[in-house]
Parts: sequence; C-alpha cells; structure tokens
Amino acid sequence: MTSDQTLALEPDQERALQTLMRRYRGRGQSALLPMLHEVQAITGWVDEPTARAVAHTLGIPEIEVHNVLTFYTLFYTEPVGKRVIRVCNDIACVLAGNGELIQRLAEELGVDPETGGTSADSRFTLELHPCLGHCERAPFLMLDEEPMGPVAPDQVPDLLGGVS
Amino acid sequence: MNYEPVLTARIGVVDPACLHDYEAHGGFQALARAVELGPDRTVAQVEAAKLLGRGGAAFPAGIKWRAVHNAEGPKFVVANADESEPGTFKDRILMEKDPYALIEAVILAGYATGAGKGFIYVRGEYPRAYQRLRQAVARCYEAGYLGKDILGSGHEFHLELRRGAGAYICGEETALFESIEGKRGYPRLKPPFPTEAGLFGRPTLINNVESLVSVLPIVLRGPDWFNSIGPANSPGPKLYSLSGRVRKPGLVEAPMGVTLRELIEAHGGGVSGSGEFQAALVGGAAGTFLGPDQLDTPLDFHSLAKMGAALGSGAVIVFDTSVDMMQVLERIAAFFAHESCGKCYPCQLGTMRQRDIIQRMVAGQGRPGDLQLLRDIGQTMRDASICGLGQTASSAILSAFELQLT
Ligand SMILES: Cc1cc2nc3c(=O)[nH]c(=O)nc-3n(C[C@H](O)[C@H](O)[C@H](O)COP(=O)(O)O)c2cc1C
Ligand code: SF4
Ligand code: FES
Repeated sequence: MTSDQTLALEPDQERALQTLMRRYRGRGQSALLPMLHEVQAITGWVDEPTARAVAHTLGIPEIEVHNVLTFYTLFYTEPVGKRVIRVCNDIACVLAGNGELIQRLAEELGVDPETGGTSADSRFTLELHPCLGHCERAPFLMLDEEPMGPVAPDQVPDLLGGVS
Repeated sequence: MNYEPVLTARIGVVDPACLHDYEAHGGFQALARAVELGPDRTVAQVEAAKLLGRGGAAFPAGIKWRAVHNAEGPKFVVANADESEPGTFKDRILMEKDPYALIEAVILAGYATGAGKGFIYVRGEYPRAYQRLRQAVARCYEAGYLGKDILGSGHEFHLELRRGAGAYICGEETALFESIEGKRGYPRLKPPFPTEAGLFGRPTLINNVESLVSVLPIVLRGPDWFNSIGPANSPGPKLYSLSGRVRKPGLVEAPMGVTLRELIEAHGGGVSGSGEFQAALVGGAAGTFLGPDQLDTPLDFHSLAKMGAALGSGAVIVFDTSVDMMQVLERIAAFFAHESCGKCYPCQLGTMRQRDIIQRMVAGQGRPGDLQLLRDIGQTMRDASICGLGQTASSAILSAFELQLT
C-alpha cells in the first residue's frame, strides 16, 4: 500500500515505537492523526508494516490508515531525508526574492529547484510549500520544526552545515 | 491613529510560557465575569456585540453561540486554528505570543454553550504555536481552569489539542471535523450545519482563533464598547496580516474599517520596491485584488462585500508597480489546483483548467477566448462547488483581469 521499502530502525527507535503503540492501544480512529504524528517523529516516514501496526493498535481497518496517509502532505509513505526543509514558495516569499534562496538550496543538495527532492546522502529533503504563515518574515523556511526567516541565500551553507 | 490595541495588548508584554504573567495582565478575568453572568447572559453579550466571524465567512458569532447553547445533550466547542490562507499569520502570532488567551476563550465558550469538551485544531506547520498551547493547557489543568468545577461554576470542561497535517481544505469547518475524527479532510454537505450536527455528529460551536479571542474583551468591557469601534454593521477591533511590498510587513491591529491606504502608509511604512502602489490582494488566495482607485476603501466586511470583494481572513498582500501580476496569478491558480480535495467535479476540474489556462497565458500562448473561458469556469465553480474552496477559487484571478492588472 505504501513504498516497497521498509524502515530500518535502531533499537531505541523500536523501543520508542513499542511504548507508543501501548499508549495508543484501542483508542479508535479519532486518535489516528495524533498517533501518526508521533510515529513519524520517531521514524521519519511510515512504511507498510508500521501502517498495519497502527491500524491494529487503534483497532481500525488498514484502509483507513492508508486513506489518511495518502491525503495529508505532512505524512510520508516514502523515505525522506533525516531533516526536512520546507521552503515557502508562495506570494509574499516570491516577492521577497525566494527564487535565489531555492536555487541555492537545490544546488547545495543536488536536487531539482522546480520540484525539490532528497539529497543523495539522504540527509535532507527539500520541499516547496504553499504559504507557511510567516509572510512577515519572507523569504521563509522551516528546518524540521524550526522557523527561519528572512533567510538570505548566502546563509544556506551555514544552515546546512550547522545541522548534524 | 490613537487607537489602543486590545487583542494584541499582551503580545510582547507577557511571557507566553507563564500563567501568572497572563493572570497579572488581565488573564482569566473574562472567564470570571462570564461565571458571574451565567451562560445565558454571556451568550447575550456575544449576540449584542454583533461579532462577525474572523475566519473568512463573517457569519454572526452570536447566532452560533445561541444555537449551541440551546442544543441538548453532549456538545463541543472547536477553535479553528488551521490558518492556511496564503498571506495570513494573525492566529499564529496570537497563539505563539499569548496562548492562554485562546485557551481562556475556549473555556469561556464551553461554559456559555454548555459544552463539556473543546478542541483546538492547530495547523500542522505551526509547531511552535502547538508547543506553547500544549504547555499552557497543562498549566491550566494544574491551576484548575480546566477540569472539574471551573471557578466554582460547577461546570466541567476538558480541552484537547490536535495538529493538522498539511491540507488547506481542513480549515473548512466540516473538513476539520472529519480530520479530528481521523479521516480524510473532505467537506460535508451542508445542511446539517455544525450547530446541529458537527463534530462526532453532535452540536458544535466552531469559531476562528481571532473570533474567540475577541470575545474576552466583549465580556469584560461589554458589547457597547465593542460596537463603539469601527462601522456599526461590522464592529470591533480587527487583525490584519500585512505583507508583500511594504517597508514594514507585520501584524496590525486596527479598528475594523481602516482604509487600505492607512494600513499601507501608517502601519506598513509605505510601498517598497518601486515605491508605487499597483494592487493589493485582500483576503488571501480566496480573496480579491484592489487597485489604486480603491485605496480609500474601508477594509471591513460590509464595505468590501458591497463592491464584490471580501475581507476574508484579513490578509493584505501589497504589490508595487514592478511586480509581474501574471506570475502572481499563476501561483494562485496552482495553489487551488493543488489544494482542491477532489470531492466534487466542478472544483476538481475547474481548478485544473484554470491553472492550465493561466499557465499558457504566462507562456505567451494565450488564446482569444481565454478570458471568457476563465469567467465561465469561475461561474461554474461558484455555482456548483460543494464548499468555499471551489466557490472562491476564481475570485482573485477574475478580479485581477477586471482591474486590468495583467
Ligand atoms: C477552503 C476553506 C478554508 C478555510 N480555512 C479556514 C482557516 O484556516 N481558519 C478559519 O478560521 N476558518 C477557515 N475557513 C472558514 C471555516 O469554514 C469557518 O467558517 C470558520 O471556522 C468559522 O469561524 P468564524 O465564524 O469564527 O470565522 C475556511 C473555509 C474554507 C471554505
Ligand atoms: S469545492 Fe473543491 S475543495 Fe470543496 S469539496 Fe469540492 S472539490 Fe473539495
Ligand atoms: S508567503 Fe511565504 S510564508 Fe506566507
């Protein structure tokens, strides 16, 4: 139902996931989005066995998990980089000259500036995003959960280099 | 200009993490006042204030509060904090900088309507707002503002936070309910309206963050105070998200009905770029463009509606004369084609065709009947779409052609 690939988890990730599953046991469909957010915080993306385990844990049909995973853009059914950069590509950020910023990010990561993508070393995924609700700080991006803006193109190497 | 901010008065003044600081700056006094008044008279205050919803549709809040107050059985209060309208950031700043205010307002709404449970649905891309709220909710439970017998009223109220997951459509109220229920965010057919059958099929009060926060000073200062600000049919203080080509973009609190000129000149420090105003997009992607002849338009719900425009979320994006407006229209068209949920054909197909036509115009391959085609598509989407997304997906684009911005 999702990618053919499966997650390769470290033992501590496995343990965290097991603890999470116990906490969500039997909580039903309304707990699906909160649970998927928490799963992804551990695993980065959701593979098919994990999606099945989520369905089983909550006590809901697998198809419901699939429906939700494929509808919401913040959930991933394919591998993503260790860190996700969401760069805003909407009106105010375009007006603030985000083109150069996106160009620079894409160059450094070796991905297509039109579509974004994951760097060859899997450290970063670059995504072009509709308005991120920080237009007063354009051009704006989010590095995982960290808001940054305005960001100048020559800050990009530091931004990528400073990330472990 | 001697307007004293109310909704944003605590922003930058209080420590958003500190409940005591919130209390020291007037926090939880509105809730205490509501408990003195009792539920019925609290709802009456909201009705008398003539508060119009700040989430985009400008529906009278009092009507919804009364309907849910009158409903029987279990019911819910939901804060719509999904803020995803391009150009809008007011709710995020309220939540990040003054999170307790939203929580107090939701508790107050629960008390007034008799709901035992509330949800705040926070946009997935707003992790900081979510964290601040989460911490604040925990503090409110410890301090007894949430849980049993709130402020000695006998009312029990619980509050749960939810995160969205990257879908513009989930800001639409019924899609938001679906999302809380753990499903895809497909809008429901209305009626039934949320006040009759909303979240989990129960009577539900859903309001925008700013609408809810506006209720606090209404209860504290009274509806007459609220009605003394702004135009009589669209009263109160209003938050405007000002961005684009202005020298000082940012959140502006002003009396409802501030003019576009005043907003840009007095609050935004004037037009940047070429320095010359070309247009402003009011209400975000679902809004409409205003041109140089409309700079003195009061930005309130009724004045804009009269000219076929809309205030929407209160987003104002400014364009100077150096901006190529076709590029802007291309972004807007792409946005709707991407965000249409696909539940109904007029919108699913219409937003795609609209995008294709704009794209070929940008590429210099426009065809003679293209503008008429865009109008026809817009008409179909307005008339036949299930929800507001499809109904407004053509408004900005058509208004740009109307103003001959392209
Ligand atoms: C496509 C679409 C997106 C919407 N997004 C939001 C939103 O992000 N925030 C919001 O408060 N209302 C949004 N709304 C409006 C809600 O459906 C609803 O009218 C609002 O939450 C009611 O609150 P209010 O009366 O306080 O404005 C949206 C509507 C549509 C059609
Ligand atoms: S109008 Fe568009 S967004 Fe709304 S239900 Fe129809 S397809 Fe979905
Ligand atoms: S347009 Fe980039 S954050 Fe709003």
